[in-house]
Amino acid sequence: MLSALLLIPIVGAIAIILWPGELKAAQARAASMIILAASLVWVALLASRFDVHGSGMQFEEALAWIEPLGLTYKLGLDGLSLPLLAINSLLSLVAIYATSITIHRPRLYFALMLLINGAVAGAFLSENLLLFFLFYELELIPLYLLIAIWGGARRGYAATKFLIYTALSGILILGAFLGLTWLSGSSSFDFDPSMAQTLTLTEQTVLLVTLLIGFGIKVPLFPFHTWLPDAHVEASTPVSVLLAGVLLKLGTYGLLRFGFGLFPEAWFSIAPWLASWAVVSVLYGSLAAISQTDMKKMVAYSSVGHMGYVLLAAAAATPLSILGAVLQMISHGLISALLFLLVGVVYKKTGTRDLTVLRGLLNPERGLPIIGSLMILGVMASAGIPGMVGFISEFLVFRGSFTAFSTQTLLCMLGSGLTSVYFLLLVNRSFFGRLAIAPPTATPQPDVNLPPVAWSDRFPAVVLALIILALGLQPAWMTRWSENTTLALHQPYSVVAQLPRQQVSQLPLSVSCSDTADEVCQP
Amino acid sequence: MITHPASVDADIHPLESFVERLLQGDALLPDTETNVLEVVGILKSYGVVLDAYSVNLCYMADHQFLVLFPFFKYFNGEVTLQKLLKFWWHDRINYEYAEYCMRTMLWHGGGGLDAYLDSPDFAQRCEAAVQAKTRHNPPIRLLHKLCPDFLPEQVRMLAYTSALGQFWRVMSDMFIDLSDRYDRGEVRTIPDVVDHIKAGLVAAAANPITYSVVLDGQAYDLLPASAGLTFLMDAAVPYVEAVFFRGTPFLGTVSYNAQAGQIPEEQNRFEYGALYADPLPVGGAGIPPTLLMQDMRHFLPEYLHDFYRQSLRGEDDLRVQVCQSFQKSMFCVTTAAILGLMPHPADTQNPAEQQVNRDYLLSWMNRFTTSRLPVVQLG
Repeated sequence: MLSALLLIPIVGAIAIILWPGELKAAQARAASMIILAASLVWVALLASRFDVHGSGMQFEEALAWIEPLGLTYKLGLDGLSLPLLAINSLLSLVAIYATSITIHRPRLYFALMLLINGAVAGAFLSENLLLFFLFYELELIPLYLLIAIWGGARRGYAATKFLIYTALSGILILGAFLGLTWLSGSSSFDFDPSMAQTLTLTEQTVLLVTLLIGFGIKVPLFPFHTWLPDAHVEASTPVSVLLAGVLLKLGTYGLLRFGFGLFPEAWFSIAPWLASWAVVSVLYGSLAAISQTDMKKMVAYSSVGHMGYVLLAAAAATPLSILGAVLQMISHGLISALLFLLVGVVYKKTGTRDLTVLRGLLNPERGLPIIGSLMILGVMASAGIPGMVGFISEFLVFRGSFTAFSTQTLLCMLGSGLTSVYFLLLVNRSFFGRLAIAPPTATPQPDVNLPPVAWSDRFPAVVLALIILALGLQPAWMTRWSENTTLALHQPYSVVAQLPRQQVSQLPLSVSCSDTADEVCQP
Repeated sequence: MITHPASVDADIHPLESFVERLLQGDALLPDTETNVLEVVGILKSYGVVLDAYSVNLCYMADHQFLVLFPFFKYFNGEVTLQKLLKFWWHDRINYEYAEYCMRTMLWHGGGGLDAYLDSPDFAQRCEAAVQAKTRHNPPIRLLHKLCPDFLPEQVRMLAYTSALGQFWRVMSDMFIDLSDRYDRGEVRTIPDVVDHIKAGLVAAAANPITYSVVLDGQAYDLLPASAGLTFLMDAAVPYVEAVFFRGTPFLGTVSYNAQAGQIPEEQNRFEYGALYADPLPVGGAGIPPTLLMQDMRHFLPEYLHDFYRQSLRGEDDLRVQVCQSFQKSMFCVTTAAILGLMPHPADTQNPAEQQVNRDYLLSWMNRFTTSRLPVVQLG
């Protein structure tokens, strides 16, 4: 069942590229939307059959691939990956919808977008380290091309910087995976939480730090973040939506699944440092956002700040904080996608994102009043105003992390306050006041006349805003999928491993401590 | 009429070209085909709206005299459920705008009406009417004793209500007549429009402005014919001064328009009348012209509505477009008023008279430096 999530977009991408007849941009876009809608329906189907009480992998699929290398095609779904898959399908659909039908080279564009969707789904589903790495790398090339071909004026620079950073991230992750497998003496790269148990703490720590830097680049965390604002500024709106909404989550997913999941002991030993790193990242991202004059760059830096919360929550590693981390990924995905969509509309209609120039876009007749209202909703959600999804995730992150790292949590909460500062600056500068899209001049100018905004431009933002509100008012719709997984994830493997054999055998299990449980039962 | 000396050097006045234009018989608004279409079309709908405003203002002045709670003052004496529902639905004539203009006139004053309302003669007449009205209302009599200025101020407001109603009666007919002449092909250019308005103003110049109320079968003259108040100098000119030039601060807009350097710091130097107002905030809350634009929108001639539909945003920004056209039309009305009040004929050959005319026009230009005059030139 899970393979369908890879096959649908990838086969779709190939079909669009190889379609024998003429394929106009509108047709390619419609086809892509149908393909992604099918993928979204498939995720919904999986969710309906998903056992929310189970904490392990479900719908597992395994296929031998290159055995001598230890590479198997092994997929699984749990409460950590299911919400991210949903976000991936939803935001890919939104990104395709938000793409103009006048785009040039539409076949390549839509095929690449679908390929990213398939690769990201593959990465979230992989239960084999090498397979994850392959998908992680596979997503990189299409994104590079999407920025390099359809980006802004400095797209070459931004795309190359993105490629160098993310390729380095991939190399570090691969290095950590190889090191782990070789040092543990395993012949398989299959994901196994007990892999690192035979390693010394030093070895674990070295491998974990390598992974942290690798995924830290992707998240991105300070000081590895510099590629992100450039990439966002040069990327087109749909690509920014995908980048902020989905692709950054690969980094945080990797931190939780592989960093924390494989090296819990080392993780706990350096957790205070990680929490402090999160503080630096949150505060740096927020302060940098305050100083931005490009609307899109401000939203990009806000991502740096908000993804820092995920690291804080992961460092604290309490049941609540890990759940908070998962929710923060979802919430940031939805909110940043909404904000980038809206910034995209503003840029499309006014021709600028310069906060020193834009004024009064809430003007009821000549401005962008609905886009402005959605923007206010988006920034409120981002600042964690109750009633919206941002509040739920940030509250869980802070509430969950406070018991473990109170100082760091308080400092990160300061970042939440700073979010209000920079987003109020954004809203106040560009949406309030007298409508203007150019600096004042000495010579008289005709009254500003912005092109009309079609409902098709507003529709995806309205959908995201409704989801943000719905999940904010009814968070159980979001938490129910992940609660059991995050609860199981937070229990360090070492605690289970240290249980004496007698205690385990005394448990009312229907099976005894047999071959399959041998590894778990080792004292 | 407040006249301003030509204090700036005439040789370098930034609006010098407009003086030449006016002396040659042209208007402040460029004479283009679309400008004629916009101005005549908008004045047609303005005429329809002014008719309704005028009827209601006169009704309020005559029949809602010192009514403490005038719940149905906009109903012109006809209160039905259907009318009430329509009122609540808000798809109606916004009479509030007429009152806004009346209060603007009251606030800025000027002209013979303002002077008369402060005279002992008026105070005497006012007191008689107040006594008659409050004869059977002891609490209000007590109020009048305690605050003797309160009810007379209300009566002054009602006097302005009546005066504005009478002024707009003439203007409404004039604008509808203009539209009819345009439809018949008699008006083709902006100078034609200005001539029509100027002729209308001159024809009505000496019309008396009077106001009396009937209480218990007895008529009380509050603005008697003997006060000598006339249409042009005591209603039209103060109206132009108050509404076209000064205006009143729009709650909620003042702060941000001040940011754009559009509003003087002192209220008595306020220049935010129809010739200065920024059409962009129209449609927002707390912007009184929104009401007028909303009203005019209902009565746009089809040719003008079509013109708006062809714009970049179509009907999305209709009220802003209506406001832009309205502002153009007000520059035509102002041109007519300026030419009508010019001390000497525009084509005079007497150098001394020419100089007086120039100084007179330059004094107007001084007032236009911060107006929207340069923007309406852009088309």
